[in-house]
Amino acid sequence: MNFFYSALRLLAFTALALGSALAAADTARQTIARAALAEAPAQRIEIITLLIGSGDESIAPLLNAWKEDALFLYSAPAGSKIPVQLSGDKDEQGAQAATSVDTGQPILAPTGRPLRLIAADLTAVEHNGALRRAMKAVLDLLDLSTANVEKRVRAIQTIGSSQNVEKLPALQARAKIETAPAAQLALREAIALIQLKSPDTPTKLAALKELETLHTIASADPLKAALKEAETANHPSVANAARAALNAVDSHLMTVNFFGTLFRGLSLGSVLLVVALGLAITFGLMGVINMAHGEMIAVGAYTTYVVQNLFGEGMDLMIPFTRIGVHLPGAHLTGWVYQTYFIVAIPLSFLAAAVVGIGLERSVIRFLYRRPLESLLATWGVSLVLQQLFKLTFGSNNVQVSSPSYLSGNWTYQDIIFGWNRVFVIGFAAFIVVGVWLVLTKTPLGLLIRAVMQNRSMASCMGIRTERVNMLTFGLGSGLAGLAGAFLSQIGNVGPSMGQNYIVDCFMTVVVGGVGNIAGTVISALGIGLADQSLQQILLNPVLGKILVLVSIILFLQWRPAGIFVTRSRSLD
Amino acid sequence: MITKITKLLGVGALALGASFGTARAADTVKVGVLHSLSGTMAISETSLRDVLLFTFDEINAKGGVLGKKIEPVVVDGASNWPLFAEKAKQLLEQDKVAVTFGCWTSVSRKSVLPVYEKNNGLLFYPVQYEGEEESKNVAYTAEAVNQQATPAVDYYLAEGKKKFYLLGSDYVYPQTTNLVLLEYLLSKGVPLANIGGGFKKDESGKIISAGKYTPFGHTDYQQIVAEIKQFAASGDACVISTLNGDTNVPFFKEYAAAGLSAETCPVVSFSISEDEFRGLPAKQLVGQLGCWTYFQSINTPANKKFVADFQAWLKTTKTPGIVKEGRVTCSPMVLSYVGVYLWKAAVEKAGSFDVDKVRAAYQSGLSFDGPGGKVTTQKNMHVTKNVFIGETKADGQFKIVKSFDNVYGEPWLKGKFKAK
Amino acid sequence: MTPSATGRSYLGSRRTEFIVVGLIAFFLIVVFPLLNAFGIVSNFTITLWGKYLCYALLAISVDLLWGYTGLLSLGQALFFSLGGYMMGMHLMRMIGDLGQYHKPIPDFLVFLGWSELPTFWKPFSSFPFALTMVLLVPGLLALVFGFLAFRSRIKGVYFSILTQALTYGASLMFFRNDMLMGGNNGFTDYKFILGYDIRDAATQRALYITTAVMLLLVYTGCRWLSGTKFGLVQQAIRDGENRALFSGYATAHFKLFVFVLAALIASIGGCLFVPQAGIINPEEMKPEKSLEAVVWVAVGGRGTLVGPIVGAIGINALKSWATRAFPDYWLIILGVLFIIVVLFLPGGVVSLAGKVRRLFSAKTAPDSAKP
Repeated sequence: MNFFYSALRLLAFTALALGSALAAADTARQTIARAALAEAPAQRIEIITLLIGSGDESIAPLLNAWKEDALFLYSAPAGSKIPVQLSGDKDEQGAQAATSVDTGQPILAPTGRPLRLIAADLTAVEHNGALRRAMKAVLDLLDLSTANVEKRVRAIQTIGSSQNVEKLPALQARAKIETAPAAQLALREAIALIQLKSPDTPTKLAALKELETLHTIASADPLKAALKEAETANHPSVANAARAALNAVDSHLMTVNFFGTLFRGLSLGSVLLVVALGLAITFGLMGVINMAHGEMIAVGAYTTYVVQNLFGEGMDLMIPFTRIGVHLPGAHLTGWVYQTYFIVAIPLSFLAAAVVGIGLERSVIRFLYRRPLESLLATWGVSLVLQQLFKLTFGSNNVQVSSPSYLSGNWTYQDIIFGWNRVFVIGFAAFIVVGVWLVLTKTPLGLLIRAVMQNRSMASCMGIRTERVNMLTFGLGSGLAGLAGAFLSQIGNVGPSMGQNYIVDCFMTVVVGGVGNIAGTVISALGIGLADQSLQQILLNPVLGKILVLVSIILFLQWRPAGIFVTRSRSLD
Repeated sequence: MITKITKLLGVGALALGASFGTARAADTVKVGVLHSLSGTMAISETSLRDVLLFTFDEINAKGGVLGKKIEPVVVDGASNWPLFAEKAKQLLEQDKVAVTFGCWTSVSRKSVLPVYEKNNGLLFYPVQYEGEEESKNVAYTAEAVNQQATPAVDYYLAEGKKKFYLLGSDYVYPQTTNLVLLEYLLSKGVPLANIGGGFKKDESGKIISAGKYTPFGHTDYQQIVAEIKQFAASGDACVISTLNGDTNVPFFKEYAAAGLSAETCPVVSFSISEDEFRGLPAKQLVGQLGCWTYFQSINTPANKKFVADFQAWLKTTKTPGIVKEGRVTCSPMVLSYVGVYLWKAAVEKAGSFDVDKVRAAYQSGLSFDGPGGKVTTQKNMHVTKNVFIGETKADGQFKIVKSFDNVYGEPWLKGKFKAK
Repeated sequence: MTPSATGRSYLGSRRTEFIVVGLIAFFLIVVFPLLNAFGIVSNFTITLWGKYLCYALLAISVDLLWGYTGLLSLGQALFFSLGGYMMGMHLMRMIGDLGQYHKPIPDFLVFLGWSELPTFWKPFSSFPFALTMVLLVPGLLALVFGFLAFRSRIKGVYFSILTQALTYGASLMFFRNDMLMGGNNGFTDYKFILGYDIRDAATQRALYITTAVMLLLVYTGCRWLSGTKFGLVQQAIRDGENRALFSGYATAHFKLFVFVLAALIASIGGCLFVPQAGIINPEEMKPEKSLEAVVWVAVGGRGTLVGPIVGAIGINALKSWATRAFPDYWLIILGVLFIIVVLFLPGGVVSLAGKVRRLFSAKTAPDSAKP
C-alpha cells in the first residue's frame, strides 16, 4: 500500500501540472503504450501512475489485457517495437487480429491487409505485483464512476480502508450524485473511516456515530486503532464513542457468524447427505457393507474430470498393466459451451458409477448377501484394487477439475457469504432426495426394491427376479455415489484415494439416521453437519469439533442403538 | 502339519530372500533410494525417485563416482513410518549402501534417524522442513525455515502487508514454522493483534502455538475461509499457508468461492511446488505466491539444460511405473539432484566412500552449480542456496518476482528473533 | 459353522498338536535367536520377525473377538497403539537428555514450549508403572466402551462401525500436538530400555525372544480358554446370541470380558512392537490398520488360533517383499488375494491343510469351513 500513498501524492502534486500537460499531448492509449515500451519496472509504474484520475474508457480494457498477459510487444519489420493487443477469433494457425495499443487501430501488414499475429510467437508485456497495484490504483478511481455497482463499491471500499484524507473530496463529490444504495452505504463508510483520521473532535465523534450505525466488519480494525489512540490521548468522549461503535460491530459479527454457521452447517450436511445417500441404499436397504463406496465416489469424480477434458483440451490415459498410453482428443470448446461440461458430467457420473457398481455386484457382492460382515471385507479388497487402478490410469497425483463460473462465485448478504457451489449442493441434495424418494415409492422398480429388501426369499417366491433387483438396487446406490463424486470434484480434490476421506463419515451418517431409512439419513446428515460447523465456530478448532461430533455419535448410539428412525421388525436376529 | 511347517518356512524364506539384494559387482557402488512409492505420500515422493534415477544415469554416463557406477537400491516406504525404519535398516545392514537419498515427511525422517545414527549411515534429505534438528548422519539439502518462510514474510512486508493469517496442517513443520514466523513478525514490529489464526498459551502465558491447524485430509474449509474473509475485511492482509498436499484443493476452491483472490488477500504457500500444482485448480490460484529455492521457470542455461535432459530421460527410461507425460521439475526434485552431486563431490574430495571421510569433506564447504544457482555445503550439514519468490500462473508455473542470493541454512531459529 | 472343530480337524489329535506347536515354538524361541547370535540370521531379520510376531498378537486379539465370539472389531489397532504409546512414553523418558535439544524432557515437549514435564508424564519414568499402564489404559477403555456398547445391545455391523469410529476419533485426537503425545510424529529415537541400549543387537534379540514367548503364552492361554465352558459359551454367542441369552447366559458380560481380554492382548502386542519398530504414531490408529489386521485373520483362517498367526506373518512377509518387487501392484495383489479368500476360502489358508488332508484320506467329512 505504500505505493498507493505515493501514487496519490504524486497525483496531488504533479498531476495538475504534468498530468494535464501529458493528457493534452498523450492520450491514455499513448501513455499505456509508452509504459509497455518502458524497460524498467519502476519506470512503468511511474508512467501508469500518470493515468490516475483519467476517466478514459480505453484504460480499463487495456490494463486488464496487460494483467492477463494479452498485451504483446511486436517487433515490426522496420526494427521498432510496437505494443499490440490481440483480439478476435483465432484462425487455423492460432493467429489473431493485432491492434496497436497507442491508436486502437488495426496494424496493417506491408501488404496493406490487417496484420494477424500468433500469441505464442510474441512475448507478453511483463507485469509484477507492484505494477498491478499501480494499475489497480488507476482502476480504483476509474471505477469510482464505473457503471458497475459492485465494482464501484469495491473501489470505494479500497479508498476508505486506506483512510487517506486527500481522497475525501472525491468521495464526497461522488456521494452527492450516487444513487445505488449499496454504493451509498459504502461511501458513507469510506467517508466516515477517512474522517476518523480528522484532528477535529466533533468530526471524529460524528464519524464514530456513523460507523456505529453502519457497523461494518471492515471498520473493526480502524475503530480499534482509533480507540487505542483516544485512550492514549486521554479522550474519554471519543473513546466511549469508539467503544460503542466497536460493540455494534461485534454484535453484527455475532449475527453474521450465527447465520453463517447455520448456512455452512446446512451445506456441510448436504454434502454429507449427497455422499451418504448411496450408502443408505446399499448398506441401509441391502445390508451390504460397501467399503468401496468411497471409490464409487471417486469413479464419479474421475468421470467429471474426463468429461471436462473431452470438452477442453483432451487428455492422456494409461491402460493399467500395460505401458500403452491412450490419447483422448478434446473438443476444444470455450466460453459457455465449455462451461456446460459439468451439466453433462452429472448424468454420466451417475452412469459410470452405476456400471462399475453393477459389475462389482455381479462379480463379488452377490455371493455375500448372507454374509454381511464378509461383504465388508471383500469390498475393502475391492477398494484397494480400485484405488490402485485409478493410480495406474490417471497417475498418482490429484487431477485438476476446474469449477465452471456458475459454481465459483458467491452472493454476500449482510456479510454472510453464500457460495454458489454451496447453494448448489443444498439444492442438489434436495433434488436427489426427492428423486430417490420418487423412485422408491412411485415406480414399479421401487416397489420391487422394497419388496426384495424387506424379505428376499419371500419376494423370490412371489416370482420377483431378485437377482435382477439386487443388481439394479446396487447400481442405483453406486450411481448416487457417482453423483456425489461429480459434486465433490467442485469443492475438493480428485485423486485415487479421495473416497477414503469420506467413508467413515458416510457410515456414521447412515448408522445415526437408522439403517434402512432414507428420512433418517437426511436428518442425521443435516444434524451432523450443523453440529460440526457450530462446534467449529465455538471452539475455533476444526479437529476438536470433529472429535466431539464422533464422541457424541458414539454416545447417541448408546441411547438409540438403532439410530433416529428404527425399522421395526418382528424377527429376532 | 508338515504342509504347515513348510509353509511357514516358505514364507520366512520369502522374507529372507527378499532381503538379499542383487549380486554385487566390484565396479559399482550401492546407493539407497528411500521414498514412498505407494500410500498417501506417493503423490509427492514418486517424483523424487524419478529424478534420483535420472541423476544416477547422468552420472554413470559420465563415468560414475570414483570410477564406480552407481547402483540404485530402490525401496518403498509405503507412507508407513515404521516401515521406513525397517527399510532404512535393510538398506544399511543388508544392502550396505554408501549413502541414502530419501524421506519426505518429517515423521519419516525422525523414524529413520536412529537407524542412521546407529549404523553411522548418511541420509540426504531434500524437502523443506522445520529445522530444530542437526544430525551428523543427515545432510539437509532441504530448505530450512529461514530459506523459505522468513523471506516470504520479508516480501509481504515490503509489499505493505500489515495483517498476517497463519494457517497450516497440524504437524511439526507448520507448527514450528509458524512459531518462528510469529517471533519474526513481532520482531518486525507487527502487533500481535494483526496476526490471525489464534494462539495457544501455556499457564505462564507464553505462546506455545500460533495459527490455525487442520488435520491431513481435511475437506471442509468453510469456517476458516469465512474467518479469513473477516480478518481481511479491512485490507492489507495476507495468508501464510503451510497446508499440506491434498488439503490445498478444498482450501483454495473455498477461498475463490468466497470471493477472495490474490489481489484482495494473497496466500503464500510453502508446500505447493510445480509438482503439486498439477492437481490444483490453476485458474483459482493465479497470482498466489510460492517460495522455494528453485522454480522450473528460472531462466538460466543450467536450468534449461536440466529440464530438457530430464524430459529427454523420461522419454527413454525403461523403469516401470514412471509417468512420462506432463512432468515438471520442482524444488524438492532439484534438491535431490543437487544432493547427489554434492555427495559425489564429497566422495571425490575424500577419495573414499567411507561415511566419516565423506562427511568431513562435505562439511568443508563444497559448491555445486545446480539448476537453481550455486549451492554450498555448510559445517552444520545444511546448504547455502538462493531463495526465490514466485507468483503462480495459469499454466502451473511460477513467475519469479523476487530472489534472495546465498541464504545461509539455519536450523535453529526458535528464540532467535526478539520482539521489538 | 464350527471353526474350532476345523482347528482340531487339521491338527489331528491333541498330541500331534502339542508336538507341532512345541516344535515351532522351539524353533522360534530358541533356534532362531541362536542362529542370530552366531550371525547366520541377520539382526535385520530378527527385528523384522519380532514385529511380525507382534502383529500375530494383534491378529489373535482380532480373532478372539471375531472368530470366536462373532464380534468384528474394526478398532483393535487402537488398543495395539495404546499399548505402544504407554511403552513409548516410558522409552521417551529413558532418552534422558540425549535428544536434539539436550534437555531432560522429550524433544517434542521442548518444541511445544514446555520447560518441565507435564504431571501425567512423570510416573512413566518407572518401568513397572508403564507396564501397568499398558494393561490398565486399554483395558479401561475397552471396559467402558464395551460396557456401553453391549449394554445397549449394539452388535453386528453396528459394533464394527462404532469401533471404527472410536479408533478414527482417537487417531484424530492423538494427531493433535496439544495432546502432548507427540502429535503426528509420535514417539521415536528411543535410546535405552531397562538400561540396555535399545539399538543393540542383543537387546533386540531379547525383545524378539520376549515377543515369541509372549505369543506362545497367549496362544496356549487362548487354546485353553476355547476348550473351557467359557469358551463354549463364547462360541455359542457367536453362533446364536439370542439362544445363548435365552438359555440363561448373561451374554453381555461374556462379551465384555472377551472384549477387554482382546484389548489386553492387542495392547501387549503393541507394547512389544514399539521398542522393536522404534516408532509409534497416530498413523497406527487409522481405521485402515485395524482393517489390515482383520485381513490377516481372514486370510489366515478365523476361528482358529493358528490362522491369525499364519495370516499376520504371511501377509506382512508378502508385504515386505512385494512393496519392493512390485510397488505399483502391491495393493492390487493384496486386494485380489483378499477378495478370493473371502469368496472362495472362508476358512482361510489354514483350512486348505484340512482340505488337502481330506482329499488324501478320501473320507467324506462334512465341509466344516462353510459358514
